[in-house]
Amino acid sequence: MNVRFLFILLIALSSFLLPAQAQDIEAGKKKAEACAACHGADGNPIAPMFPALAGQNARYIYLQLKDYKEGRRKNALMSPMATSLSKEDMLDMASFFNAQKQAKNNFKTDPQRIKAGAAKAEESLCAMCHMGGMSGQNEIPRLAGQHPDYIITQLKNFKARERNNDAGNMTSLAQTLSEDDMVNLAHWISNLY
Amino acid sequence: MRPAFVVQTAVLESMETAPLVVNGVMFITTSYNHVYAVNATTGEQYWHYKHKIGPVSTYCCGPNNKGVAISEGKLFMGTLDAKIVALDAKSGKLLWQTQIADPELGYSETMAPTVVDGKVLIGTNGGEYGVRGFVKAFNAETGKLDWTFHTIPDKGHEGVWAENDATGRNMKRDIPAEKAALAKNADFFKTLGGGVWMTPAIDKKTRTVFFVAGNPSPDLYGAERPGDNLYTNSMIAVDLDSGKYKWHYQYIAHDVWDLDAVSPPILVDVKNKDGKMIPGVIHGGKTGHIYVHDRSNGNLIRFSEAMVSQEGLWSLPTPKGTRMSLGANGGVEWSPMAVHPGLRLAFAANLEQPMTYHVEASAYPGGKLWLGGAFKNVPGEEQFGNVTAVNLDTGKIAWKARTPQPMIGGVLATAGDLVFAGEGNGWLKAYDAKSGKVLWQYQCGAGVNAPPTSYTVDGKQYIAVAAGGNSQLDFKRGNSVFVFAL
Repeated sequence: MNVRFLFILLIALSSFLLPAQAQDIEAGKKKAEACAACHGADGNPIAPMFPALAGQNARYIYLQLKDYKEGRRKNALMSPMATSLSKEDMLDMASFFNAQKQAKNNFKTDPQRIKAGAAKAEESLCAMCHMGGMSGQNEIPRLAGQHPDYIITQLKNFKARERNNDAGNMTSLAQTLSEDDMVNLAHWISNLY
Repeated sequence: MRPAFVVQTAVLESMETAPLVVNGVMFITTSYNHVYAVNATTGEQYWHYKHKIGPVSTYCCGPNNKGVAISEGKLFMGTLDAKIVALDAKSGKLLWQTQIADPELGYSETMAPTVVDGKVLIGTNGGEYGVRGFVKAFNAETGKLDWTFHTIPDKGHEGVWAENDATGRNMKRDIPAEKAALAKNADFFKTLGGGVWMTPAIDKKTRTVFFVAGNPSPDLYGAERPGDNLYTNSMIAVDLDSGKYKWHYQYIAHDVWDLDAVSPPILVDVKNKDGKMIPGVIHGGKTGHIYVHDRSNGNLIRFSEAMVSQEGLWSLPTPKGTRMSLGANGGVEWSPMAVHPGLRLAFAANLEQPMTYHVEASAYPGGKLWLGGAFKNVPGEEQFGNVTAVNLDTGKIAWKARTPQPMIGGVLATAGDLVFAGEGNGWLKAYDAKSGKVLWQYQCGAGVNAPPTSYTVDGKQYIAVAAGGNSQLDFKRGNSVFVFAL
């Protein structure tokens, strides 16, 4: 076997052996350039009102993009962004953001609020779906380390049923939360990084 | 009794595996579908298999796995991405894999399959996702589908409009409103749930498969799924060779509390109402009762005294939340019970976990978690557990041993009159089967929330149990299987 042929064979083999996901991440990086203005180039947002996508579960990102596209979740910025995305685009971007490292947010948490938030989380059985440490699983989002501004906004939206693509679980739970509960939960979640 | 060895796996996450020992080799599974084969007397590893999970896996309650089945040198495991895989038991090499159902729609596998006469039987998770539940039989040699039994019939799922549960208590259904809703739409059977997520039992003599079906979807919002929602929350018997329906018995019609039938059925001879011993089949209900059936026709012979508190039964969920002392994990969760036929006792692991039940109208969300509401703990109310012994022939509680945390994982009874059960705080305890007295305990360092098993190699008896904690109750995670011997 000549060396040149061996070289070509190795190249062919190595691209064949690369996990499919790695290719998705590369494609996703390019496609996610449009997201950087708000969510940051690496999924760590430029302002606290935008969620951190770095390290977020791919399945969650994919399903939320799909819900934006199909109108189940509405947001003035996100809904128009999602309309032109194909299924492959969404899966690629989800893989890219999932592979990024989440940075610590700079919010200063209050120990009293963290304690109250932890108690409220236990009562509300948050870990039953979001897992211990709010690390998330599948389509259930990772919450750990999100900025309180984003968490509070989402809880308020669930309570007002302005966000209702959750099949009744978060909307129902949010009815039992006061604004103070939401702030406490947000401090606790922010501190879980 | 002391540890003989400890198997440490590479996966630090919830363990629900029942170790299986054949010819001196122990097979254990972990979260995320790893399988280990180890020497059952030393713990030395023979091989380690890691299933390549596809891009979509949908499961509600942790990436668990409950174990493998084995027959003629082949191991069978269900996977989180809804496949059944067959491995060579000697080498751990993949022999075949078959896609059971579409994980995008919420189908996934955590249960241990059953293998019998060349058929691998497996159900599905997904009662929280709007699946249409089933049990399927696959050819053990080829992986080809043999038959499917749907737990939700396309016609007749409205049933008999039962007003009472199996124990005769009124379930407060608005049946005229349900009938009106059914007249408008009866097509919801495709998303009505009824997952089968614990292992079936087989009676080879009558060639019958017995299994229990879980809750209807969505869990808490019942208005758009009128009727009894057959065969959810039922024990079901089907023909082993054809998968054809034989009988069913429904415990809770039109459930709106997620009180599945889930703890696996056990085949045992029982006393019928005339005092005659007959083949029976029993189930430990999330309701906190043990149900004793005639195996031939499903008739309920008796139900046990309630093993847990049932305050507020059957209060309907409301938007603000209604309290029942019986939580959504039930009085008995998936935890397998154990039976000591000589003592005529069944042993169950109980949870005392008061909750409020909240309802929220919600349409089918296309393969996402679909609860139609929420469950919450009640602030300030104590949670704990029991190990309870119940006389099969009278339904009376023989003894009850309290534990500091709700119990999830399962119970083992040995012929030596010992009962083993683990706790979320890491203690594995051995009880006197006759009295419930704690005779021995060992601290495993992580939640013991898996069924203990007993086996013998070269005449020496061992007890094996996984200590990996539990994701659903958030008990401390570990990665080990402890094996004990005298």
